Order: sequence, then C-alpha cells, then structure tokens
Amino acid sequence: MDTILVLLHTEADGTLAKPALEALGAAAELGGTLVVGLIGKDVQPAADSIASCGAAKYYGVSGDEFAQARYSSDAAAAEAICKEANPTVVIVPATSRWNRVLSGVAHRLGGRVDTHVTGVSRTEGALSAARWYYRQRMEAVVQRTHRPWCIALEAGCHEACAAGAGKATVENVNVILSEAARQTTVTGIKTVAADQQTIRPDAKLLFVTGAGWTKKQPDGKAHVEEAAKIILEFLQHSQASLGGTKSLVDLGGEGQTVLPFMTHLNQIGQTGSTPRHPKGLSTCCHGEEPHVIGWRFVNERRAINLDPNCPWAHGKADVLYVADALQVMSKVNELLAAKK
Amino acid sequence: MSTPYQIVVCGSIVPDPLQTLEPIATPNGPALKNEMMLPAVLDPWAKHALYEAANLASKQPGSKVYLVSLGPKAKLQQVMMTMAQKVPFELVAIDGSSSGFTEASEVAAALAAAIKAIPGVDLTRLLLFGGWESASRGAGSTLQMVGEQLGIINQFQGVDKLTCNADGTLEVLERIEGGKHQVSKCSCPPAVLGWATGMLPEPPNNPQIGMVNMRSIMPALQKAQPAAVGAQGLSFASVSLPKQQRTTKVIKDMPADEIASEIVAWVSQD
Amino acid sequence: MTEQVHPTVERQTMDADIVCVGFGPATGGFLTTLSRELVCEDGTAKLESSVAPGLPPQVICYERADDIGFGVSGVVTPGNGIRKSFPDLDLAQIPLAVPVKHEVVLYLLDPLGASRRSALLRCADKAIRALKGILPFEREAFKLPYIPPFLRKDGGLLLSISQFNQWVGTQLLGSGAVQIWPGTPVAQPLFDDNSVIGVRLLDQGTDKQGRPEAGFMPGMDIRAALTVVGDGPVGNVGREIDFHFGMPEGRHKRDWAVGMKMVVNLPEGCPLEPGTVLHTFGYPEPEIFGFLYVYPDNVASLGIFVPSWFDSPVRTSYRYLQHWMMHPYLWQYLEGATLRSWGAKTLEESGKRGEPHLVGNGYARIGEGSGSTNMLTNSGVDEAWITGVQLAEAVVELLKEKKPFTQENLEATYVRRRRSSDLDKQSCIAEKSRDGFGSGLVPGMLGMAATGFTGGMLNIGSEPKQPYKRLPTLADYYKGRIPAEELEQIVRDCTARGVSAHSTLMDRCGWPQIPYDGKLLMSQQDALLLGGKVQAPGGYADHVCFLYPNLCQSCGTKICIEVCSGQAITPGVDGVPQFDREKCIHCGACLWNCATPHPDNPERTVLDFRAGTGGLHSADN
Repeated sequence: MDTILVLLHTEADGTLAKPALEALGAAAELGGTLVVGLIGKDVQPAADSIASCGAAKYYGVSGDEFAQARYSSDAAAAEAICKEANPTVVIVPATSRWNRVLSGVAHRLGGRVDTHVTGVSRTEGALSAARWYYRQRMEAVVQRTHRPWCIALEAGCHEACAAGAGKATVENVNVILSEAARQTTVTGIKTVAADQQTIRPDAKLLFVTGAGWTKKQPDGKAHVEEAAKIILEFLQHSQASLGGTKSLVDLGGEGQTVLPFMTHLNQIGQTGSTPRHPKGLSTCCHGEEPHVIGWRFVNERRAINLDPNCPWAHGKADVLYVADALQVMSKVNELLAAKK
Repeated sequence: MSTPYQIVVCGSIVPDPLQTLEPIATPNGPALKNEMMLPAVLDPWAKHALYEAANLASKQPGSKVYLVSLGPKAKLQQVMMTMAQKVPFELVAIDGSSSGFTEASEVAAALAAAIKAIPGVDLTRLLLFGGWESASRGAGSTLQMVGEQLGIINQFQGVDKLTCNADGTLEVLERIEGGKHQVSKCSCPPAVLGWATGMLPEPPNNPQIGMVNMRSIMPALQKAQPAAVGAQGLSFASVSLPKQQRTTKVIKDMPADEIASEIVAWVSQD
Repeated sequence: MTEQVHPTVERQTMDADIVCVGFGPATGGFLTTLSRELVCEDGTAKLESSVAPGLPPQVICYERADDIGFGVSGVVTPGNGIRKSFPDLDLAQIPLAVPVKHEVVLYLLDPLGASRRSALLRCADKAIRALKGILPFEREAFKLPYIPPFLRKDGGLLLSISQFNQWVGTQLLGSGAVQIWPGTPVAQPLFDDNSVIGVRLLDQGTDKQGRPEAGFMPGMDIRAALTVVGDGPVGNVGREIDFHFGMPEGRHKRDWAVGMKMVVNLPEGCPLEPGTVLHTFGYPEPEIFGFLYVYPDNVASLGIFVPSWFDSPVRTSYRYLQHWMMHPYLWQYLEGATLRSWGAKTLEESGKRGEPHLVGNGYARIGEGSGSTNMLTNSGVDEAWITGVQLAEAVVELLKEKKPFTQENLEATYVRRRRSSDLDKQSCIAEKSRDGFGSGLVPGMLGMAATGFTGGMLNIGSEPKQPYKRLPTLADYYKGRIPAEELEQIVRDCTARGVSAHSTLMDRCGWPQIPYDGKLLMSQQDALLLGGKVQAPGGYADHVCFLYPNLCQSCGTKICIEVCSGQAITPGVDGVPQFDREKCIHCGACLWNCATPHPDNPERTVLDFRAGTGGLHSADN
C-alpha cells in the first residue's frame, strides 16, 4: 500500500493557500496512508487548519530559516521529512516554491518526478498521472515503477480539501542547515504597484490582446495610446488578467511603439504561460495552434476579430464577433463605467 | 573587481514551435510523427539563457560560455547554423535523443557527466544556466537534477534577471505567482539559474562570431559522445492531442453597441 | 523613386576566399564537389586559403531563409547529375525521396464550364466527350496514350527539395570544409569597377524603410576573391549583377511562372503508389498546368503553375489551386486528404534565353538564375546541380594552378565546361521550345512537340514579350462576361475592403465557392498559417518595395495585389499598394507580374524585390 506524503508550505501569514488544499484533496482520494509534511515559519496553525483531513501523521519543519522560499533550505526540509515519512508517493502543489525544489528532492531520494501534473488517479490499483508534453500541445497519462514518485499538481485541477480545523499533532523534524545552505537569502518581493498590476491569476476573465491593437486602424494610422487607454480601462473595470500574444509582447524588442504595461510576464502561449481562468476574451489576435495553447485552460472563450476566418478563434472560441475590437471595447468600457 | 565565471548553458533542441506536432506510438515509447523531418530550433528558454550567458561573459572578462546540448548529431548541427552567428560559445555536444518523452533524470545524468568532463572545468566558478522549462518535456526538472549532481545548492528558477555585484555576490530575480518577482542574494557561485525570458533581445547575426564559433563547433560535433537516454520505469498509458475543436458561433454585422452589451452581460455572469 | 536606404556607417569587413549567395541545388552541387577537394582526410589543407594562411580556403554560403530546407519545392528530376555526385546514393537516407515509377499526362476538361476556353479547345473537348467510350477518358480527364521521350522522367527521382537540401547541408557541414549560414540575407553584391569583390549582408536593427533603429547592426561586407551567385530566379544579387553589367545581347528573362503547391497526407486507402507522377493541363484554365507526385507513406506533393503567358490581369494561384484539386479526376484521390504544408515559388522559364553573363571578374553564376533550366524537358533541379558541379571543378582547377578568379580564367574553366556539356547542348535545343505558348495552349503544345521531335530544328512561335506588354486591361479581359460598369463597381468595392478582386470576379464568372473543410480546403490565410507557417522577424527593411508610388497610383490592373501568393500585397491608401511582410512567402511573383515598366530599363518593373528575411517555415515542401 502506498504511503502518500503531501508536502505543503505555509504562506507569509501562516495559512495554507488554495493550491495546497487542492493537492491535499487530490491525495486524499488516492487511498493508502496519507501523511502531511509542512514547511514554514510556524506550521502548527496550518496543521490545525486541516486537522480532519485524514492524515495519519503530520511532520513539520519550521523556523525563520524555512519561512523563505529558498532552494537550499526547502530541499533540505523536504528531504528530511521524506526520510522520516518514507513515502512511496509525494504530492506537492505546483507553486513556484515547490516547482523550484521538487525535482532536486526527487533526485536526492533516488525517486522520479512529474511536474505540471493536471490529474492523479488510480486505475485497477495503479497510480496514474496526467501531464502535458511539448508545451501543452499533447497530453499523456503516465505510470512509473520508481518510488518515491514525486508529483507537482497544478492549481485548479482538483477540488480543495474541505477538511475541518482541529488540533493536529505535528512531529517536528529537525533540520540543521549547513553554512553553504545559507549562502542565499531572499531579500524581498518585487511587485508592480497594485493599480498597475495586470496579471491577476485569480481573475474570472483572461483578456488576451494581440498585435492588432498596435496596427494601423481603418483611418490608416495606429492609435497605440488610445489602445493602451482602452485596455487599461477595461482591466480596471473588469478586474481581468491581461495576456498578450507573442507577437504583441515581442514588438517591445523591436523598437516599435508598444503598450507600456505589456511585458514578457503577460505573454501567454508557446513560450509564455498557460493560465487558468473561467472565461477568456481575445481581441485582435491572429495565430495558429501553438498560440492557442495560451488559453487551453480557459473554459468559456469569446473573440473579437476583423477576420471571420481567424484561425485563432475558429474552432477554438465559442463565439467570434467579427468587429473592430477598439470600437467594441471602448463601448464595453462605457457600459461598465455606467454600471458602477 | 570582476569575477570570471564559467557559464555552462544546458539547452537542447526542440521542434520549431511553428510546426504541427502529432504523437505516434513506437516500440520504444511515444515519439513525434516525422520527428527527424521536423525543423529544429534551440529550446526557446535555453536560448534566452545562452544570450544572458554571453552578455554576462562579455561584462566579466575571463569568463567563458559553454553550451551543453543533447540531441541527434545531425539536428544539433542544423541548429548550430542558426545559433553560431548569435553569440560566442563553445559547444559540448552529446549525441542522443532530444525527445520530450525521455526521462529527465536520465538526461540530467548525461548532462552532468558531460559537464564534469569539460577540460579545466572549475565547479567553484560555475554558473549553470538553462531554460526554466523546455519546450519538449516541459517539466522544468532536468536542470535541478544536474545541479544536484554537481553539488550545487544555490538554485533559482524562472529567472528574469541576474546581477553580478562587484563584491562577487549575485542578485537574482525569479518569477513567482501573480506577475511578481522574488529577489534573492547569493553570496557566491556556484549557482543554478533556470531562465525565463530574461531581459535581452535576440542578438543580431554576426558573421565574425559565426566564423570563430564554427571552427570549434564542427570538431565538437565530431567528438560528440553517444548517450543512451530513455525512459526507464516510465510507461505511457496514452499520449494524445487535446480535442480543441469547438463549434464557433460567428457573429457578423452586429453593431458594436450590441456586441458590447453582450460582452458586458457575459463578463458579468457568474 | 523610392531608393533603397543604405545608411552611411562604418561597416565591418570580413575576408573569405569564396562567398556563395543562396543555398539551393546549384550551390549544393557546387559545395559538395568543392568541399571534397579542400581538406585531406587527416584534416590538413589540400588547398590553401589566401585569407587565412595555413588553413584550407574559407568558403561561406549565405542563405536568406531561416533554414536551408525552408520555402522550396517538391520536384521530379532525372537526377543524373545528383547521382553522379553521390554514386552510393541511398534514397532511404533522404525523407520523402523515391524513384519515379509511373508517369501519366492528363488533359483535364472543365466540368463546371467556368474556364475561358478557346473555340479550338471547346471543339476538342466536345470531340473527346463524344468519343469517351473509346478513349482513355475518366472523370473529365483524358489520359494521353503517349508521353514524348523528352518529357519522360524514367529512372528519375521524386524529391522534396526541402529534405534534399537539408540532407546535402548535413553532409556539407559534416565535412567541416564549408560554412552555411541560413537566416542571413545578402543585401547586394559589392562592385569595384568591373569586378565583383564580395557581398554586403543586410542591415539588422532597422525600421521597415531600412533606417537604423535601436540595436542597429550594419550589414557586414564579406570580401571574397570569388562570389558564387546561386540565388535563384528572383534573387536580388543576381539581378543587381544583371543591372550592373547588363544582359548579353539577345538575352532576357521574360517567361515566368508561379508554382503554388501543397504537401498533403493522402486519405487512408488512397490507391496511388509511391513514385507516381501525374502531370495535368487544361484546367482550371487552359494555361494552368498541374502536378501530383506521390511520396512514400501516403504523402503527396501537388500544385499548379500559373505562367506569365496566361493573359489574365487577375491571375491568382490559390483559388485556382483549390479548383484544380477539386477536379473530379484528382478529387477521387484527394477527398479526405489533409494539408501538411503549403508554399509557392517563382520559376524562371526563359531557360537558355535568360542566360546572363555566366562569369565576370570575381563572380560566377550557377543554377536557375543562370538560365540552366531546360524548358523542353521541364527540368531544372538536376541541371542547376550540374552547373554547381561544373563551377566547383573549375574553381579547384584555378585554385590548384593558383590563378585568380578573373573573367578570362573563369571563362576558360567554368564556361568552357558548361559549353561543352550535354546540359548546354540540350538547353540550346530547348531555347525556343516554349515560344508557341505566347499564342496560346495549342500552339504551345505543338511547338514543344516540334522542338522535341526535331531536336530544336523546328520551333513554333516568336520571341516572347515582357509580361507587362501582354497584359490586357480588366475591361478587355472580362469583355462579354461582366458589364464594364459592374466590373468597375466590383473593383471599387474590393479596393474599399482592402482585398484583391480575383475571388469576387471568379464567383461572378461562375466558379463555385470552395466548400472549406478545414483540412485541405481552407481560406488562404489559414493556409498561410497552417501550411506555410510564415515568419517575419522584425528589425529588417521591407523587401518588397514600390519604386515609383506615383506610377503605382496610375496602374490600372494592380496585378501585384491579385497575384500575391500570401495576400501580403493589398490595396493601400492613395492607390499605392501596401505590403505586409508578415504574410510574404517570398515567392517573388509580384516582381515579374508588375504591369508597369521601369522608366530606365524596359526589362525591369517598378516593383523591387530585395533581400529579406523570414518566409515559410515548412520543411517538407
């Protein structure tokens, strides 16, 4: 029987984030012995918050050294917990913190790792993981003979564990960091001002903009400033997250006038991100299959484009409005402003 | 005072992102249809890493850039034709599969062995670069394992910026959730940096760089050691293309006002 | 005139012994032969470089496309020259290569009644239909019972030039003796009085007009004792040399065609055997020829040629290609097929008559741009390869004798070899073989037969005119089919919508709408994205340039818009067409289709086709 260890890290406020609860939820359904490992400054409150999740045991590595998301300390902590728990399967939420260390930990344990996993299941006793290859262009279901099998589960792929709070007994695992493990210190988080933030992972809507926003409009001129204003206004009204196609983001590198707030962090698709949002609205995009990857995990999709045959939208969007996006979106802004 | 670094960039080749990919089953596991016919490029994120490496090396006199690349020799050769004019580097070629369906730990072992075998390699000055993910396996796991095998525990992923300070410390910006960057300071090399996009534009083609690079690239390709990388212990129950065909309702000739109302109604729905 | 911008800046210079422009079959043949004579087996130099003492000659080849296998075509070729270079050629090593097994020539009748057929052809069609019980007639196609020997490709090869180029490139790079750099367009040849002294690479980091921008890197000057020009039919370096030195007396390039093709996965169970070759003529218009080559693994390369003597001011390729595929004879094999890749290319169809000065001080011409294509046998790849081989042998001879690459020495070695070869003899026979097509399909076919069967003693037709001189006005072309007023209205509407007019005009003339299936039949832009995968990296000047906007304004046909294979040229403001590089597949059709002669040179038009990056990214063409 499998021993399934769910490794979780606490957030800055000591709580567990939604992806952590989702990983726990997924693990709890797999059967076997569930064990939870927690890493953070103080892990007891987090353990208490999931006290009724059914875990047979809670391990914790805590202290100031483990508050920060740092490879050396996180890997040492995870390795130590794994050595105590001796799991056959390790599941973590695919946060940037776990993505940084999980495969190193798997290597230390002599195990194997799968990341960006979108589902774990058990069929006829065998554990399977669904994951993507070639930048979300093909999906595979894999099984492994090596143990421990370390799995990073993507956010939004499973219901969060609804375990109630209580009192959990956490077995503290003592980890002493070497001098070398302290060579790196996290000095801060760099973030753009809240009103300039255009990436909102929890937004209901992903607003995808294409290079068409910067191209010549029917009057033969480009209206980049106006386009920028319309886009920002819409983001402000709708609280949508902003995505850009590669061609739009790349324009910045070619010395063309571009949208000042659009960076590579906004880029979605083949060499960008593949965000998850319930809805997506694409505007002025044209591109083919690789670009469409950007909204593979967007459920409801609509598009505004002047080309009725736009392959970005055809067969990929639910609704395609053949229209001038600048015109439509400024009307949308008017309506949204009036609603408020 | 500038510190000379040995910058090893791990980067394999992937099908040109514009190509249509289709999985097929072979006796050795899944593969891409017409894999050998597909034009290849250097993995996009690894390419950024290479440009960052070259940029860093140009600012830190005495530094040297190696590109360690695992792939079928003929394909590596093809990709070098487009890469070698970009920035100066020395190629370490490993002749083996560049398929995304191979096992990261096996690839990591081959890469680590090749790095250890670089003549005169000094692990204390090593900056191990690569893409934070590949466009083939797309896992973001190989580089960490290479780092582990080389005993490097200063590791960073999703790096967009590296600053090498005069006192020898490194400042690193890593992508984290929500479009933010985590800022870290590392007192000294060695370190592993898995690059995201970085900050540099694509360098122009420079024929002189190409000429010089090619003189060492061709012998490196001829010397390429074969590596049998597979996927031991990994089995694929299925590999399939996602069903992406939706029925698209095309709405033409609707006034902008009406479209706007529809969109507002749709966006506002829960 | 819109001048090409050449910023006056300090340019770096690099010295090489030989610089080649363009990597195709001709340069492949040149480098393959040359590379074997440069280095000993132990890696030491067989011949010595004059710019890098102690090393073998430094040989560099620059190719504008992003890869050496991009944006070329599938061919059927006798392959004699290629086989001679590779006596142990194992076709299994080259994807999609297969020997020719079975050849068929088909005359396609018009099942729709929409094509423009002469009275003569209509009579012939009637006769064929009346006798269909006894003739080899099937699904509106008449199979020619006999293929003349000069057209047959028995024992030849079917090749994907993309894959063949890649294979040749791999062998060459593996030798370590030469360097090939794709993604590196050559802006122009460098002249010094009466000599070519090398090439200048394209400026990088510029705006679309070529003006320096952030990251500007002036194109480097590559100086070389010999510049080998193998940049094909529309290559700018070859054309610049033609402008500079002029064409030899009586030589000109006036016959052209655009070939548009697809590579498709045939439907499962398709009975066509690998190695099958179908040639067609007669449909969708009598002037349009078609081909279908069957590769292994149920893959086929197919397409049409639209020649410059098809006198339509709205000649297009894409829509005609779709109608051609849907001809009942072909559709029986193609229904259910899926597009793998798509592309188009210009063919220089003047052959020997378009032969420029083959050599001069410091340069030599090889391949299609050197007039090597045999217009009687419709064969160009092997011929191009052979010219490369001949030049390489000449170069080795001169290097061994330490003689400079002067016009005289190149004449005595390369040109002598070429003139005494069978290639040149056959090319002379073929020189006038197509002249009959200037008067239409039937005289053209009769002319080819006359030339072919008499060994060039008897030819039909007269010297071809420049394409722009042949072109009727829209009103003349549609006389009797579309009333003048309606025609003007259609053109006005299309211009206002910013699109070409051919599709609307074809609808109006009875061509049915194409039933898009999203697999093989799709909009042109879908083909561009799904089959062509066009790329246009920024930081370079536009390569299609309207030299005299005022002349474009007054151009009545604007055929550049109609013919553009990628819909990259569209109606623009003030009547000057506009060019969108992101859709250009570098076929070069706009160059020779342009309907306005250059004020200074009647063999030139006012549309310039310069060095450019990007284009197709499909490797199985």
